[in-house]
Formats: sequence, C-alpha cells, structure tokens
Amino acid sequence: MSAATNRTQPATASAVTTPRPSEPSKTKATLTWLALLVIFGGAVWLSNARWSEITGVFTDGWRYFQLMLDGVLENPFAEPWSGYWTLALEKMMESVYMAWVGTLIGAIVSIPFGFLAARNVSGRVTVQVTRGFLNLIRAVPELVFAIIIMLPIFGFGPVAGTVALGVGAVGTLGKLTAEALEGIDTGPVEAARAAGARKLAVLRWAYWSQVLPEVVAFWLYRFEINIRASAVLGIIGAGGIGQLLGQLFGRREWEQIGIALVVVIAVTLLVDALSGAIRHRIISGGAVKESTFKEDAVSAV
Amino acid sequence: MSVEAPPRAAATDRPRKPAPSPVVIGGLVVAAAFTWWAGHSLGFSLRPLVENWSNGWVVIEQFLSPNWPFIWRVWDAWVETIAISIVASAVGVSLGLLFAFLASRVTNRSAWGFRATRWFLSVLRSLPDIAYVLIFVALVGVGSLAGILALILFNIGIAAKLTSETIDAVDTGPLEAADASGAGTAARARWAVMPQILPNYLSYCLYIFELNIRASVVIGIAGGGGIGSVINVQFSRFEYENVAAIVVALFVVVLLIDQLSQYLRRRFV
Amino acid sequence: MIELKDVTVRYPNGVIGLDGVDLQIPDGQFVVVVGLSGAGKSTLIRTINGLVPVTSGTLTVDDMEVSGASKRELRAIRSKIGMIFQSFNLVKRTSVMNNVIMGQLHDIPWWRSLLGLWSKEEKERGFQSLERVGIVEKAWTRASELSGGQQQRVAIARALAQDPTVMLADEPVASLDPPTAQMVMKDLQRINRDLGITTVVNLHFLDLARAFGDRVIGMRDGKVVFDGTGAEADDAVFERIYGRSLTADDTLTESA
Repeated sequence: MSAATNRTQPATASAVTTPRPSEPSKTKATLTWLALLVIFGGAVWLSNARWSEITGVFTDGWRYFQLMLDGVLENPFAEPWSGYWTLALEKMMESVYMAWVGTLIGAIVSIPFGFLAARNVSGRVTVQVTRGFLNLIRAVPELVFAIIIMLPIFGFGPVAGTVALGVGAVGTLGKLTAEALEGIDTGPVEAARAAGARKLAVLRWAYWSQVLPEVVAFWLYRFEINIRASAVLGIIGAGGIGQLLGQLFGRREWEQIGIALVVVIAVTLLVDALSGAIRHRIISGGAVKESTFKEDAVSAV
Repeated sequence: MSVEAPPRAAATDRPRKPAPSPVVIGGLVVAAAFTWWAGHSLGFSLRPLVENWSNGWVVIEQFLSPNWPFIWRVWDAWVETIAISIVASAVGVSLGLLFAFLASRVTNRSAWGFRATRWFLSVLRSLPDIAYVLIFVALVGVGSLAGILALILFNIGIAAKLTSETIDAVDTGPLEAADASGAGTAARARWAVMPQILPNYLSYCLYIFELNIRASVVIGIAGGGGIGSVINVQFSRFEYENVAAIVVALFVVVLLIDQLSQYLRRRFV
Repeated sequence: MIELKDVTVRYPNGVIGLDGVDLQIPDGQFVVVVGLSGAGKSTLIRTINGLVPVTSGTLTVDDMEVSGASKRELRAIRSKIGMIFQSFNLVKRTSVMNNVIMGQLHDIPWWRSLLGLWSKEEKERGFQSLERVGIVEKAWTRASELSGGQQQRVAIARALAQDPTVMLADEPVASLDPPTAQMVMKDLQRINRDLGITTVVNLHFLDLARAFGDRVIGMRDGKVVFDGTGAEADDAVFERIYGRSLTADDTLTESA
C-alpha cells in the first residue's frame, strides 16, 4: 500500500499542471519512410525478377538439400565418394594456395605504395597520385583484372587467378599500410632524426617497426578475404574450387555439390580461425576489429 | 657476484642478445615452406608475363579502345543491377539486424542462443557469394531473382557481423536501467540498444548497398542477372571493346554511389 | 515494506557482498545507506531489485519474494521498483520523452514498443513524471543536450514513470557538482514526502546523509554496523562506520 497508486490522476500534489510542449512533427520521418518504400517497391518491379519462381526454393530446395545430405553422409572412404572428397579438397587447397601466393605478391608490392601514399612520409603530389592509383585498383573487381590482363597472358588456370588476386590486394593493402603509417607515434621518428639517421634508416626503424604488427594483421585478413575471392575467379576458368563448383552445378551433381560445399565451409572456417588467432596474437589484445577492414570489399569481388 | 669472476673495471657483463622466440621462428619457417609448396602446386611462374606479353597486348589494346555507345544500349541491364542491389540490400540488412541482436551477448540473454547464432553466421559467411548464386540459379532458374536471393544471404552475414560487433560495444548503462525497470528483451533491444547503434547501422546499410553494386559482375556471370550477365555474354563473344566500356561505366557508377553514401553518412553522424 | 532476513550475497568470484544482513524498511521511509566503497552499499541496493541474486536468506519487497523469483516474476517485481544510477544511464541519442517512457516498457505490448507508438496516457504519464522534477519543457529535446543535473532528473522521471512503490538510488549525486547535488537530493526527498514512495539512497557524503536521511544505515564489509536516525549519526558514528578518521572528502560542502 502506498500513496503512489493515485498518481495517474492529473491533479498531483506538487503543482498545477504546466503546459505540455508540443511534440515535434513526424512529417519528415513519415515522408522519408514513404520515399524508401516507394524506392523499394520500384526496385522490386524494375528488377525483372520472376517472383513466382520463388516457390522453387521450397519445393526443389528440400529435394536438393536431401541429395546433398546423401552425398555428405555416404561413407567417405568408399568409391566413388572418396574420390569426390579428395577432388573437392584438392581444388579447395588450390584456392587456398592461390589466395596465399596472391596475397603475398600483393603484400610485397603494397609496401612501397604504402610509404608513397602516407602523408607523413611523402610529398603532397606523390601522395595524391599514389592514392588515386590505389583507389583505382580498389574500385576494379579482381574478376575484371583476371579477364582483362591475366587470361590473355597466363591462359586459363590458377596462375592467372593468383596474379589477379595479387593485383587486387595491392589497392587495399597499400591504403591500409599508408593509414597505419600516418597513425604512428612521432616520438621515435624525431629521436632517430635527432641522432642523425638517414632517411632510409628512419623509415625502416622508426616507421616500419611501429606498423609491422598491424600491417601483418592486414595481410592475414586480406588472405581470409582472398580465399573467398579465389572461388569467384574459378568461375571464369581461373582454377580452384570455383571452377569445380561451376562444373558440378552445370551437371547438377547434387551429391558432389554437397561434399564440395562442406569442404569449402570447413576449410574456410579453419583458415579463418587460424588466421584470426594469429592476428589477435600479433596485435596484443586483438584490437583489430572487423569494421576496421570494412572498407575492404568483404566479398572482394 | 661470483668470487672467481675476474675483476673487470671497464665493462660489466654484456647481457646476451635474446634468441628470437621459437614460436616466431617456427611460424616464419612454416610460412616459407607453405609459400614454396603453394607456388609449386600452382605451377606458379611469372615467365608468361614476358613471353606472352605481345599476344596479351592484342587483347589489352581492345580494352583500351572501349565502345562507348554500348553502355547506353544495355540501359535495361543497368536499371536491373541497381534494382537487384536495392531489393537485396533492403531485405538483407533488415534480417541482418535481427540476427545481429541474436548474435550479441548484450541483447541475447541466452548464452546458448547467442553462440548458436554466431556459429550459424560464420557458416553463412564462409561460403563465397558465387556459391549462393549457383545454388539459387539451380533452384529458381537463371535471372535476377537468383541474384537477389543470393545477395540477401550474403548481406545477412555481413550486416549481422558488423552490427553485432557494434552492439557488443554499446554503453551498458541504459541496458541496466531497462533491466531495473523490468523491460522485456525486445523492448530493451529497441530502446536501450537501437538508438545507440543507429548511425553505425545506417552506414553499414550504405556500405552493403555499395558492395552489392560491386558484386554485380560476379552475380551476372554466374547467372544472377543484371549488368554482369551482359559482361558474360560479351566476354564469351570476345567483344572486349564492349566489356571495357561496361567496366569503365561500372567504375564510374561505383564512384558515384561511393560519393553519395559518403554524403549521406556525414548527415547521419 | 522491504524485508531482508539473514541475506548473504556471494559473487561468483568468491567476494562476499552482503554478510547476513537483517533489515526492515517500512513503507514511505527515506533511508540513506553509507559506507566506504566496497562496503556492500551498492550490492544491497542491487539485491533489493534482483539485479544481484541472493545466495542465502530471504528478501521480500511488498510481500513479493525477490530471492528465488522466476524471470517473469522478477520483471514484475522490478516494474514496481524505480532505480536511479550514478551515471544516469540515459540513452543519450534519443528524446527525453522516449527515455522517460522506457520506465513504462514493462506494461507496453512489445509490438507497440518496437514501433514507438506510445498512447496518449503513456505520454501524459511521462509529462507528469517530468513535471515532478520540473523539466516538462525539455520533453522533446535529445537527452545528450541536457546538463548533468537535468539528465539525473530525467532519470528520476523515468523511475517515477514506473509508478513505483520503492525507489532505489545508487550514488545518485556522485557525478554532480555540490549545488546540483543538493537540488537532486531535494527532488528525491520531495517525491518521497509527496508520494510516499519508500526511498533507499546510497551516499558517501555524511552531511547529505544527515540532512536527508530519516534513517541512516551504516555498512562495512557487507554487514550493517549502524542503524539509527540522521541526528544520531554524529562524526564518531561515521568514524566507526568508515573505520578511519574523517577527511574533507567525506562531506559535500567542504570537498567542493
């Protein structure tokens, strides 16, 4: 029991009712929502999607899922299933190799670009030109690199894909390296300069030592992204799991598709976990968050 | 101090340089070995770059003379690409938000539930976008519906990951206040968490829309409709001038959308 | 009526928060709890509304048992207990009104709360609560635009919007400057007097404790070591509670 129970009545003991401020108008919010709704509706219409086909997801989806499950649940050591598993694993490893070598190429090439694009290292014009170049690379999907330059020169196969991944990685890694360099503690730089160190020595010992852990973490993260990206390149014939997936889907081999997808998921999760653990160790406390890399296209198209 | 130690006035004992940690050495050795093995398995060599430069140059030359009018001839495909991206982003980020709330320790009170959601999301993200397109092309046929559905799944993974990390970092004060007043889980998420993450979430939404535009090449090549399918057709007909024009135009579109979303982002914060 | 019978709270890390506490707080009383940090003041308050679970003993608020309540029961109990925090715990990015209505979320259907469709009555209850603390005119401003004292008043209004029978305040004035602290304490006292809401406030300033407490409870190492009126709580008593001689930091006016 308490006096509080009668509080809902307007006449309170404290004072006469003060005027209520009027609620701010909601028109703007309503109009924004309406506009978004119109845009969405227009997009649904203009996308030319045959919406009625969506039933296929529920009818065929279940059947195909069962077929995939059958493939996965068959004894993996008996023919022909053992062959399917080996093939998928081989092709997935090829994708991992492509991602690894590609990232390494990109990493090495990106180091000088990173220095050239850092405002506290290079002159204004150099920075502008380098940044423009890096942005250009970032804007072009790897797939396009592979199509334009790599396939005519390297022919179909994993090497073309690897080089395309490398070129694509230069853009983001160069930009992130430059940003890391710009964020360094200037104390050691001044100390090295005061001791009369040459420019190259300053760059090596005052700049590079400070950013190395962070930059290596970027490399590893890019490696994780490139594993997914290499699958994409496979679809145009640049090797790896993507090529196998393309073929299997073309032939509707659902049992094998199931096996391949399980291999992709397992290997990707494993590499992610391993690489993530190393990244957290390198950067003590694991300060790098996924959102730091957000600007990097996660799909690395 | 040992008595036998010879009296050295000038220099005290120099501490020996510590050997580099075995973990680091081991790691570097493993990395080097893996690199060698990977290069070997791929048959990696840069020699074609020199040897085949001249025959590659023929193709590159075609790329350097884009067929500009072609851009307008495929106007419908551009509209389709933008429409696909809008529909997929809208659905993807909405579902992504729901999953983000389920995937954060802050908003999901069930420890088991939030671990299961996280696990589900990492599986979802481990498949590349191309795999989703292939799956949906098989289910609903070639066309933009397959592209939309594939992008939705792909977007849920990214939106949920980014947003749940933001939720993990919110100020827990208002949550405590909501708990102390007996608010339910949904109401607590809506009023104690949502206002805090809104600016970040909106910027993720724009980012995902950009990603979808970039992904349109991949989507189309695998049969998901839009401008990518045009690239696919022209590429298989060796019409490199047309491909080049599309690629340059796509680049401009991406830049324009990037500028637009930067402007919008500044307005949110 | 808040009643604690031999209540012990042991945290998962083994630290003892409350050690066999027996207390009875009758309706409408204004109680000030004093003690050094770590003495168990904060644990006491959080135990009363179930934010910290009781390890042994029984705790009832208005004859509802908090110890061993189910999640649903706990939410019902909490909806009748308002709480005020040292750091205000407002959602700064939204309007004062939305913050105040947060106190009523327990009674609003979830679909209406998700869409933010507040009824006229809910808004009017928000206005009345804001009127109690004298900042009705700020109802539609963003919480982030208010001063510290105003933010704490919004927090009080949020608690009032719950229509509580008990009000708990955990160091409500520790982040405020002395004149504002005095005013916020006066608001709490007036609300206690006008509405008869049982109020339990943690403080570490002994002059505020004396001035406002109908009853002062001293805590040390999780035990109640003093229980008397404000007038009885002289410097000697405080030295005994604190286990050391008093310094200027122990009073609000002199430490400023």
